[in-house]
Amino acid sequence: MTSASDSDDRPGSAVTMAAFAVIVFLQIPVIVVVLAAFSTTSYLTIPPQGLTLAWFAKVLSDPSYLSAIRMSLILACGSTVISLVLGVAAAYALFRKALPGSEAITSVLMAPLVLPAVVIGVALLQYYSLTGLRGSLFGLLMAHVVITVPYIVRSALASLSGLDLAVEEAARVLGANGFEAFRLVTLPLILPGLVAGALFAFITSLDNVPVTIFLISANQTTLPVLIFSSVEMGIDPSVAAVSTLLIAATGIILLIAERRFGFHRFV
Amino acid sequence: MIAPRHGLMLLAPLALVLAGFFLLPVLMMLPMSFREYAPGTGIVPGVWTLENYTRIVTDDYYREVIWRTLGLGLFVTLACLLLGYPLAFLIARGPERWRVPLILLVIFPMMLNLVVRSFGWIALLSNRGLVNNLLIQLGLIATPLKLMFNLTGLMIGLTHIYLPFMVLMLVAAIRNVPRDVEAAAATLGSSRLHVFAAVTLPLSAPGILAGSILVFVLTISALVTPRMLGGPTYKVMATLIYDEYMQLLDWPSGSALSFALTAMAIGVIWLSSRLTKRWAGMA
Repeated sequence: MTSASDSDDRPGSAVTMAAFAVIVFLQIPVIVVVLAAFSTTSYLTIPPQGLTLAWFAKVLSDPSYLSAIRMSLILACGSTVISLVLGVAAAYALFRKALPGSEAITSVLMAPLVLPAVVIGVALLQYYSLTGLRGSLFGLLMAHVVITVPYIVRSALASLSGLDLAVEEAARVLGANGFEAFRLVTLPLILPGLVAGALFAFITSLDNVPVTIFLISANQTTLPVLIFSSVEMGIDPSVAAVSTLLIAATGIILLIAERRFGFHRFV
Repeated sequence: MIAPRHGLMLLAPLALVLAGFFLLPVLMMLPMSFREYAPGTGIVPGVWTLENYTRIVTDDYYREVIWRTLGLGLFVTLACLLLGYPLAFLIARGPERWRVPLILLVIFPMMLNLVVRSFGWIALLSNRGLVNNLLIQLGLIATPLKLMFNLTGLMIGLTHIYLPFMVLMLVAAIRNVPRDVEAAAATLGSSRLHVFAAVTLPLSAPGILAGSILVFVLTISALVTPRMLGGPTYKVMATLIYDEYMQLLDWPSGSALSFALTAMAIGVIWLSSRLTKRWAGMA
C-alpha cells in the first residue's frame, strides 16, 4: 500500500521529459562552444566540416591571451585569499555575538551582492580616477575583494550556525588559547562550507566583467574581458578555443569539489 | 560570547575595506549625478542641476530603455519559472540516484563564465549561426530569422543564465513542502493534479517568490549578456550606463542612471520582503 502510493507521487513522464529538455537547453551553448573550438570553419556547420587543434595552438602561443590568463589567476587567487581572511574573521565575530546589531552588520556586509555590479563598476571607476588607483593591481584586487567577500561571509555564517560551541569551549578548558581553539577545532569543522564559499568567490572573481571592465588599463586585462572585447570585434574560433579551456577547467574544478566535499550540498 | 573588543578587532579589517572601496565610492557618485555635462567640454564647473534625473523620466528614449529593462526582467522571470519548475520538481521528488547528477548539470552552466555562455548563444543565434543554418538546410526558411540584437536573443540568453538560480531556489522550496499534507489531500480524494495545484504549489510559494525576485533583480542589472546579444543598438539600463561612461564620457548622466537602477533593484527587494512578511503574518 505505502509502496504503491510512493511510486504514485513520483513525477510523471511528462514532467520528467520536460525536465530533461530543460537540462539539454542548459548544456546547449556549452556543447556549441566546444564544437566550434575544434572546427576548421570560422562559422559552425552541422555536421562539422573538419577537426583541428590549430585554434588551441594559436591561443596557447598568443601572448595577449597568456597575460590575460595570468592576470585573471592573480586576481582570483589574491581576492579569494584576502576575502577568506577578512570574511571568516568578520563572520566569526558575528557568530560569537561579540557586537550589538549583528543583523544590521550582516546586511551591510551583504550589500555588494544587492547593488547591480555595473553600479559598483562605475562607482569605482570615478573613485579610482580621483585617487589615482585606476589601472593599479591594488585597486583591481580591492574591487574583487568587494564582490567576492559576501560569498565567503555567507558560507562562513552558514557553516558556523551548525556548530556546537561546546567543542570550542572544551578545547579552551583543555588549555588552548582562543586562536588555537579556533584553528584546531572550529576551522576543521567549518572547512567544507568554507571551501564551497571560496570556490564561489574564486569563480566570481575569475568570471567578472561588469566591474573589471571599468577598471582595467590598456596593458593589463583579464581573460573574460579580453574574450568580451574580442567578440565585440567579430568572432574568431580562437575565442571558442580559449572558452573551451575555461569550460574544461570549470568542469574539472566542479567534479573535484563534488568528490572531495559533496559540493552540491552547499549550493 | 567573546569580548566586544575582540569582536571589533575581527570585524574592523573587513569593515574598513568595504567602507573604503564600496560605500565611499558609491556615495561619491551622488554629487556627480547633480553636475551638468557639456558634450565635448566635460563637466561644467559650479553648476548643479536636477536635469540628469528629470531626463530619465521625461526623455522618450530613456523611458523606452527603462520599460524594456523592466519588461525583460518580467519575461525572463516568467520563463525561468515555467522552465525551472518541472526540473526542480524532478530533482526534489524524482529517483534518488538522479538527484546529484541532475544538480551538477544545473550547477555546471551556472559556474561557467558568462562571456563564454553568451558567446555560445551568439554562435547559435546569429544570422549565420547554427539555428539559422540548420533551418535553411532543412528548407524551413529562405532567409535567416532575426534572433539576435532584439528581445528574442536577450530573452533566450538571460533565461539560460539565470535559470539555474531559479531551479536551486525551487528545489529547496519543493523539498520543504510536507509530504504528509499532500498525502492527506490525496487520501481525501484529490486527484494528483489537484493536490499539486491546491497543496504543493501554494506551499512552495515562498521559494517561487524568492527565486523570482532574485532572477528579476539579476536580469535588470545584467550588462554582459545584453551587450553581447543585444549589440550596440538594442540597449537596456546597464548597457546604457556602460555607454554613458565609456563612450559618451557623460558621467553625471551615467551616475543618475546608476542610482535609478539601484533604486529599482532595492525597491523590488523591499517590496518582496514586505509581501513575505504579510504572508507570514496571515499564516
